[in-house]
Amino acid sequence: MNEDSLYIEEFLNGDEKGFEMLVRKYQDRILNIIYSLIGKDRESEDIAQEVFLKVYHGLRYFRRHSRFSTWLYRIVANTAYGFLRKRGNVVSDESALENSVTTRKDPRESLSMKEREAMLQKALARVPIKFKTAMVFKDIEGLSYIEISRILRCSIGTVESKIYRARQFLKDELLELGGGSV
Amino acid sequence: MRECADIERRLSRYLDKEMNDADRAMVEAHLAGCPLCKKEMSELARLKGLVMETERKTLPRDYLVCRIRESIADERRAIGRLSLAGMGIFARRLIPVPVAVIIVSVVFMIFTSMQPVTKSSLEDYIFSGRAATTETALELILGSQN
Repeated sequence: MNEDSLYIEEFLNGDEKGFEMLVRKYQDRILNIIYSLIGKDRESEDIAQEVFLKVYHGLRYFRRHSRFSTWLYRIVANTAYGFLRKRGNVVSDESALENSVTTRKDPRESLSMKEREAMLQKALARVPIKFKTAMVFKDIEGLSYIEISRILRCSIGTVESKIYRARQFLKDELLELGGGSV
Repeated sequence: MRECADIERRLSRYLDKEMNDADRAMVEAHLAGCPLCKKEMSELARLKGLVMETERKTLPRDYLVCRIRESIADERRAIGRLSLAGMGIFARRLIPVPVAVIIVSVVFMIFTSMQPVTKSSLEDYIFSGRAATTETALELILGSQN
């Protein structure tokens, strides 16, 4: 039995600490995926919270045919789609980047990183979500095509196509925003 | 050119190391002889690197746990309020019953107080041993019209 299964067992046996351990384990990963998908700091936190609330209420119905992470990432993708459907296409809020807790320390590096980040986030926000999700799972989370195909419930060929299209979109957007090479 | 278009579509997969050995060898052979696809490949690799190196955000260890706990507590309070509100609706639906009982009682009391007082009660008449006609019985029950 893996770590996630142990936490799930704990939770289903009435110990909420099991659920809290799952939150602590996945919160940063989920936050970064959501941030890459919707591009808004504060709202990313709200959506991450919404995702875990769905997990809290749905864990008893989770059939363990797939890995917990696959199920969790599917909830993330669906919740992000739902958010974008409600709000329309979201453009990243660059000012929100100032308030986020980051892992960079050097202020000079941080400044240039922030500029680059802002541009990348802006370009990412313009990539249609139906293509972007697969790319984010691949490049941000490092998942394999087969794992992504399970999360998005599509074929590996479709995953390949989505990632290819997302990268083409992203390249074009970066070229447009930067006015030069990628 | 057609070969280039085909290879270009497969570059992402090659870059992600998701190809089998035969396909990888085919892409590599093409890249070795095609500067355009090689350039496309290096741009894609740079792009992938940019996304992979995206600034990662970290949350304080218990930040989300606390928010979720609060949210779950709010949900439970809301469910509790909903139950009370449900009881309230039920109670409100029953309000006409006692009101109707009170109104009927008041009307009955007013109606009976308007009737003239009978000289003797039904019990007195019965215990007197006199023969009772329907008329006298009705008179005693409903009150004398005189």
